Amino acid sequence: MVPIEHKIYARWVDWGTRLGLGVLTASFIAYALGLVEPLVPPQQLTRLWALPVDRYLAVTGAPTGWGWLRLLGKGDYLNFIGIAILALITVACYVRMVPLLFRRGERLQAWLAIAQVIVLLAAASGLFDGSH
Amino acid sequence: MVADGGTTLWWIWPIALFAVTFVLGMVAVLGGVGVGVLFGPIVGAFFPFHLDFVRGAGLLLALTGALSAAPSLLRSGLASLRLAMPLALVGSIASICGALIGLALPTDALQTALGVIILVLVGLMAAAKSDDYPDVGKADTLAAAFGLQGLYFDGVAQRKVEWRVHRTPAGLAAFAVIGLVGGLFGLGAGWANVPALNLLMGVPIKLAVGTSGLAISIINTSAAWIYLSRGAVLPMVVAPSIIGVMLGAKTECACFSSRRPRSCGAP
Repeated sequence: MVPIEHKIYARWVDWGTRLGLGVLTASFIAYALGLVEPLVPPQQLTRLWALPVDRYLAVTGAPTGWGWLRLLGKGDYLNFIGIAILALITVACYVRMVPLLFRRGERLQAWLAIAQVIVLLAAASGLFDGSH
Repeated sequence: MVADGGTTLWWIWPIALFAVTFVLGMVAVLGGVGVGVLFGPIVGAFFPFHLDFVRGAGLLLALTGALSAAPSLLRSGLASLRLAMPLALVGSIASICGALIGLALPTDALQTALGVIILVLVGLMAAAKSDDYPDVGKADTLAAAFGLQGLYFDGVAQRKVEWRVHRTPAGLAAFAVIGLVGGLFGLGAGWANVPALNLLMGVPIKLAVGTSGLAISIINTSAAWIYLSRGAVLPMVVAPSIIGVMLGAKTECACFSSRRPRSCGAP
């Protein structure tokens, strides 16, 4: 009674969430214990986290969009790997659904899935990072 | 406690955040309330972080909770991907708009609006009723085109339940408004998704709860990316919160394993 696409979607979400949470937990421990030097030391962060995001970015030089990829050597930005995994799971699941739905002749559902992927990729692309 | 501006005692905040979210995770399981909706108002009021970072964390928290719950809901047939897809698409587009508006508005206006939203939400929660098996006479044209119907097994009633929906255009409009509000304030949206699915569209309550969780995992992803792109995500706020909620929910689920499955792991 449970459709095959539910089973596949569930499996992908399950493993993606485990991976994302595992990476996030490990990287946060490394960050909090000071094992990897951060861009913004926690001692300074307490003076900055009450600022609106625009001012925070101006003061710290923190990146927008996918700029965090250049800072993966920093303890705070290492955490973004786990966060990005969690935020990409749905995109991966939907991409996996598209050929399944086309194969079953469910063209409308397949196009809905493609439209959703486009919306999510647009959001993730950095198109709306404020610099455009 | 923070006489020096908190610079030397910085570690108090992530620990406090972890403790609060651990309790929120337990409360979510006990009360069936979404953590995504509790996190913003509580952390925004009692912690020193700017609302921009609290909203970014709130969205990621609701997203993670929904992702954690999705596999069991899908495997048990208590969430419908087919039903979630069109609603989540509309909700995603609206939540991107909400996130962009939220990041452009002055903080004072947002805080005031958040207070009003919370009051409305409490009123809605108090007034909302649910219908276990709503009577849906005939599916509307849009629902028929999307194939929004199906069958699931109700473990409590020990029977197969056939479902279909009506008022699909109104449901899509409701998800657009809910997505906008969720993106604007960084809130999870189960509080509004469930009544929209159940009372408006005629989805049986169990399927409405499960599908709402699935829809949140899709809708919040798009808004979360906007906050990520804009730099409004602080790992020092996000990571302890997510870890705290997940551990809190799992602890409570372990203690009360006899609880209804739909309430476990769905913070």
